[in-house]
Amino acid sequence: MSEDGRRRLLIIERAYRGALETQFADVLYLARELNRQQGGTDILLRGLAVTYAAAGSRPAPVMVAGSRKIDTLPDPRESVRTLIEEGAVIWAEEDDLAMFETGPDWLLPAVRRGGPADPLPDWSAYRGVYFL
Amino acid sequence: MAQQLSRGDVLLAVMGPPHISDMVTSAVRLAQALLERGATVHIWTCGHATGLTSAALGEAKPRNVVNWSYEYPSSAALATELLDTFPDRLTWYSCRFCTEERGSAPHIARIRQRPPFKFTEHLDAVDTALFLGVC
Repeated sequence: MSEDGRRRLLIIERAYRGALETQFADVLYLARELNRQQGGTDILLRGLAVTYAAAGSRPAPVMVAGSRKIDTLPDPRESVRTLIEEGAVIWAEEDDLAMFETGPDWLLPAVRRGGPADPLPDWSAYRGVYFL
Repeated sequence: MAQQLSRGDVLLAVMGPPHISDMVTSAVRLAQALLERGATVHIWTCGHATGLTSAALGEAKPRNVVNWSYEYPSSAALATELLDTFPDRLTWYSCRFCTEERGSAPHIARIRQRPPFKFTEHLDAVDTALFLGVC
């Protein structure tokens, strides 16, 4: 964190950036390290990436190549939970949530809504804004 | 020249790059499903997809700093795994031009480099050709 205590805002809009070839090294892996080094960051999810903040569990992503089971594919929902545990503040944009949200329990409770009905993160309040 | 290519049921032409979509994962799942059902599969990689089988990748990805002791397989190791499991029915070709242009050489063993102007023979050698992504 900077001397004046302002945080950085990370914006993630694109989901599905490789699975087999990416495994642990997805965009949230970088976000987690930035969060650790910065003493906390805010992350705004937009577009398809709002599904990272879904509360529902789903089968762990697993696939088979040859005779080998690969169970180390990216698991962004789990990564978002880890980020929250480690002090990151997760936001999800309401306009994009509307495409997926099926009920009041769809979104993880700890995730902040931003959009027409609620204030979005105020860019000017951050030390920097970064599109990942 | 076409006679020198073995016949295949399906060609998966992986044209798009890895790491920007789930395309490579879909290609491998599709190949696995076809091979498990007895089909003969040809894979052709172009563009940055040639890097999937670069020997420089080694067996494992770089270490995960939050799970240091675990070895995550590289895409090259997974390609080897596929070729080991289905040695008679999977053939993996890679575009020679793209391999050199994108710095993917040398490939791991059993990746057959082919000049791009021979690609049409590969289309003729299979019953069904699927293009995944664009270079």
